[in-house]
Amino acid sequence: MAELTYREAVAAGIAQEMERDETVVFLGEDIAKAGGVFKATVGLYDKFGPDRVRDTPISEQAILGAAMGAAMTGLRPIAEIMFSDFLAVCWDIVSNQIAKSRYMTDGQVSMPLVIRTANGGGARFGAQHSQSVENWSMMIPGLKVVAPSSPADVKGLLAAAIRDPDPVMFFEQKSLYATKGEVPDGEHVEEMGKARVVRDGDDVTIVALAAMVPRAVEAADRLQAEEGISASVVDLRSLVPLDTTTIFNEVGKTGRLVTVEENPRLCGWGAEVSSIVAEERFWDLDMPILRITTPHIPLPSSEELEDIALPSVARIFETVRNEVD
Amino acid sequence: MAKRPVKKRASKSAKVPTPSATATLNDDIGEEKRLEMWRLQLEVRHMEQRLHDLFFQNLIKGTSHLAIGQEAIASGCAAVMRPDDYTFCTYRGHAHTKVRGVSMEKIIGEMMGKGNGLLGGKGGSMHLTDVDKGAMGSYAIIGAHLPIAAGAAWKAQYLKTGQVAFCFFGDGTTNIGAFHEALNFAVIWELPVVFVCENNLYMEYTPISEVTAVEHPAADRAGAYGLDSIIVDGNDADAVYRVARAAAEKARNGGGPSLIEAKTYRHSGHSRADPATYRPDGELEEWLKKDPIPAYRQRLKEFGISKKVIDDIEDAVLAELDAATEAAKNGAPPSEDSLMTEVWADGGSSWRN
Amino acid sequence: MDVLMPQLGETVAEGTLTIWHKAVGDTVENGELLFEIGTDKVEMEVPAPVSGVLTAINVEAGATVDVGAVLAVIDDGKSDAASPATTPVASAPAASNASAVSRTPTRHPSLRLSPVVRKLVVENNLDPAHIPGTGRDGRIKKSDVLAYMKGAPAVQVQTTALFEPLKPPQSTPPVAPLKSGAGRTVVPFNRIRQMTAEHMVRSKTVSPHVAQGVEVDFSSVDKVRKEKGGVWRAREGFSLTYLPFIARAVCDVIKEFPNINSHVEADNLVVYDQVNLAIAVDLNFQGLVAPVIQNASAMTAVEIARAVADLAGRARSGELTQEDHQGATYTISNNGSFGTLFTTPIINQPQVAILSADAITKRPWVVNVGGEDMMAIRPIGVLTQSFDHRAIDGAYSAAFLRRLKEIIETKDWGAALP
Repeated sequence: MAELTYREAVAAGIAQEMERDETVVFLGEDIAKAGGVFKATVGLYDKFGPDRVRDTPISEQAILGAAMGAAMTGLRPIAEIMFSDFLAVCWDIVSNQIAKSRYMTDGQVSMPLVIRTANGGGARFGAQHSQSVENWSMMIPGLKVVAPSSPADVKGLLAAAIRDPDPVMFFEQKSLYATKGEVPDGEHVEEMGKARVVRDGDDVTIVALAAMVPRAVEAADRLQAEEGISASVVDLRSLVPLDTTTIFNEVGKTGRLVTVEENPRLCGWGAEVSSIVAEERFWDLDMPILRITTPHIPLPSSEELEDIALPSVARIFETVRNEVD
Repeated sequence: MAKRPVKKRASKSAKVPTPSATATLNDDIGEEKRLEMWRLQLEVRHMEQRLHDLFFQNLIKGTSHLAIGQEAIASGCAAVMRPDDYTFCTYRGHAHTKVRGVSMEKIIGEMMGKGNGLLGGKGGSMHLTDVDKGAMGSYAIIGAHLPIAAGAAWKAQYLKTGQVAFCFFGDGTTNIGAFHEALNFAVIWELPVVFVCENNLYMEYTPISEVTAVEHPAADRAGAYGLDSIIVDGNDADAVYRVARAAAEKARNGGGPSLIEAKTYRHSGHSRADPATYRPDGELEEWLKKDPIPAYRQRLKEFGISKKVIDDIEDAVLAELDAATEAAKNGAPPSEDSLMTEVWADGGSSWRN
Repeated sequence: MDVLMPQLGETVAEGTLTIWHKAVGDTVENGELLFEIGTDKVEMEVPAPVSGVLTAINVEAGATVDVGAVLAVIDDGKSDAASPATTPVASAPAASNASAVSRTPTRHPSLRLSPVVRKLVVENNLDPAHIPGTGRDGRIKKSDVLAYMKGAPAVQVQTTALFEPLKPPQSTPPVAPLKSGAGRTVVPFNRIRQMTAEHMVRSKTVSPHVAQGVEVDFSSVDKVRKEKGGVWRAREGFSLTYLPFIARAVCDVIKEFPNINSHVEADNLVVYDQVNLAIAVDLNFQGLVAPVIQNASAMTAVEIARAVADLAGRARSGELTQEDHQGATYTISNNGSFGTLFTTPIINQPQVAILSADAITKRPWVVNVGGEDMMAIRPIGVLTQSFDHRAIDGAYSAAFLRRLKEIIETKDWGAALP
């Protein structure tokens, strides 16, 4: 095991796959010579050269269009969209083209590509550079959606996404880039579409994603220590495919479900998870399902305001404490 | 209702300009290529007319964007392409798909929503695709496929396959952002892609000249990206062939992209539902005089190709079209099971366990 | 103006309207007695909140309703001015979003069954009315059902719900009201009588009672009472009885025998560090209550004496609050004023033991003076403890009583009193 930062794990995952597969290529703004604005792709240009690691103009439609054209003709491109907010300027390529082409052509077209993007708040960047938009992708048929919470998962799930024959939206939480964690040595590939129970518990199940996972775990530790409430925490890791089996197992055990979402309230992924549990595991529930989300507002930039807006450890702790009887 | 040629043998209906007296058959194009382009143009013309008829028999639902009058562009370019070259086209893409050798039965079947359609009834008129033939898709959101074509060209460049991507689009596309992103991108990456703007004078219902800053919506923008300004008579398959051949050779030789603006005219309205009443009186009639089909028949004649050879090709196309139409009509609707297939590479559509 | 069911204590969710003092059409003055309500142990008189005419009574006497329910309407001449919406603006945006603010149950929690509880009840053919709920406001949780199916009430960590008594049996079929006459008088059980009856039956059903008594020589206590009783009474305004000494001694002994100070919950004995001492108080033959001296173990005998006097006084004047009834871990019942020799008390659930102090009378008593047995006249009383044999055994209880006797007889009580 080696300790890597979340950002180092990005480069490690890409490098691992570029070494084993010549068809893996990488493009995006400032990703090559500059090593990425978040320094998550440092070293790849030097290692793999200008033919495989290419800087692009500020042309998000061109970046994703090119990735799609290359994917459907035999390459496995990784495209970086610098901030996930910018997906809005190339959303046609994502939602109309990449997501739907296989179905529309009855399977003639394959789309083995990965769109990596820095997602989420915590960096005080304001409403156009801090959004959590994983739910935008989740609601488009034909996209897989992954959001890792740890360096090991960054590497392992990125590798899995690159090998996956379908388009994968890969959301890196920008406030996690500096966090560290153990990453297995050698080739490391995780299975996509599997949630992970990161903390066992009997009284309540907290389902979280990306940056909300460490917060949920910390809140669960406090709940145990201060309130005697035993919370299991599920790191969803992937929204599509969605691991309902793990969610059902945990909710079946605890009878209580709480989702912790960084996205704004309406149509957040937790709404879908809640709906599925309510439809299919209603008779296991011992408490109304509870969603903890960012309010339905654009994200403010001020440190004080952003901290109130995003689900915090304290808010998770208090909400669960107040609701679990 | 748009006016349109109604005779079965469409090529006899119009007067044509006389080709240059100095033209010879065995020039840089040659007889074989010309007969190929003749056949391709006829396939498109007759198939489009057939689709029109099927629409009015209520056998085709949804929408349809016909390219009657624009056949020379797709045919001239197709005659340049290698079998492994790529075509990217728009919702007005029956022509570009057909000229890659795609089955008429499958195209018509798809238009009719049949299980034996090209896309199993899942794509419809606006998304005709036949990857095996290099027809990499018809794109229904304006501009999207320009960067996608650049991506296919990137693959050809990266793997050094010598393939070229042809990308067809209308004049309206020149005013959307993706057009400009794709051109700049293709130039700086020196990608082997040929962008072909089919300027048929109308974006949808509005004349392109009313909404564009320059006279030639594509060619006048080329210079902004360091490209030559290329304008060609889009109703002359030979002329299209020549500029397309030059652009393809340049691309294959590592010279990067080209942008061609082909002037043409859409005989019908924008789509099935458009009677094209916005066109000034007499405009259609003027363009019908420049109809590429009779013009090309005349040219072949003047090159000394026998009437029998010319007619036999058309008869064969019509026979094939009749057979394809019947086969498509007889096709079964898609199976209900197919609804939930081919979202993912595993053939299924499951998003959860 | 709407007249609402008031909140009678932090943990009370409902109350029974016992009597209306006004009828529809009556004029009422602000502050005038309007109705009475009762909860498990507290009776309360409720005055009219406003002057006006009583225009509607929505809840008849005898009905049990949720806190906040509209009981009646008084037309105070301002009825057109509907009370303005008082929707508070959330101070923190996140807070308003955080936890689905409005999660107020529409029915009483104990009557609402969560999906999993509903399923378990149906699958196992259970009657939810018989399942003790330990969740918020008495809600039946999944763990309650599972514990019930195992034959025991659920483990409960929170203390607030522990003292929620069971509801009166719901299954009693309606009967025609009994009538007085022909040599008999029908006295309906008041609420305290009803609750007492229910509680006593349940305690005897749940706990196998065993009673043990010891004779105690109260000479040491008597000496102090004689020396300081007069001053005490003059200063404090009430007599110095034996009870505070017994209570103080009980607290001392519990330190050595902690299992006496406990609750039985499921298959567990939940032992408490702190002694919350309930004192049974008779309400002039009108009922029995057992208000609690919170944390008596931390009090001196003097402080206990004052607390006992305070509780007894407030009990008889009907001023006890819901909080006065909560959290007891051990109970002392005092019947001595009537001259009884001994009483076998019934355990105050879910505690495991209760002590009865009876009459202390002068009796011939063998004492040992200088190695010789001699007869003496001593104030002797019997202390009887009933204990729950599920929780503890006879030897433990007997050892407790022996030590209690020893402390009462030998402690320097003089030093304990000013």
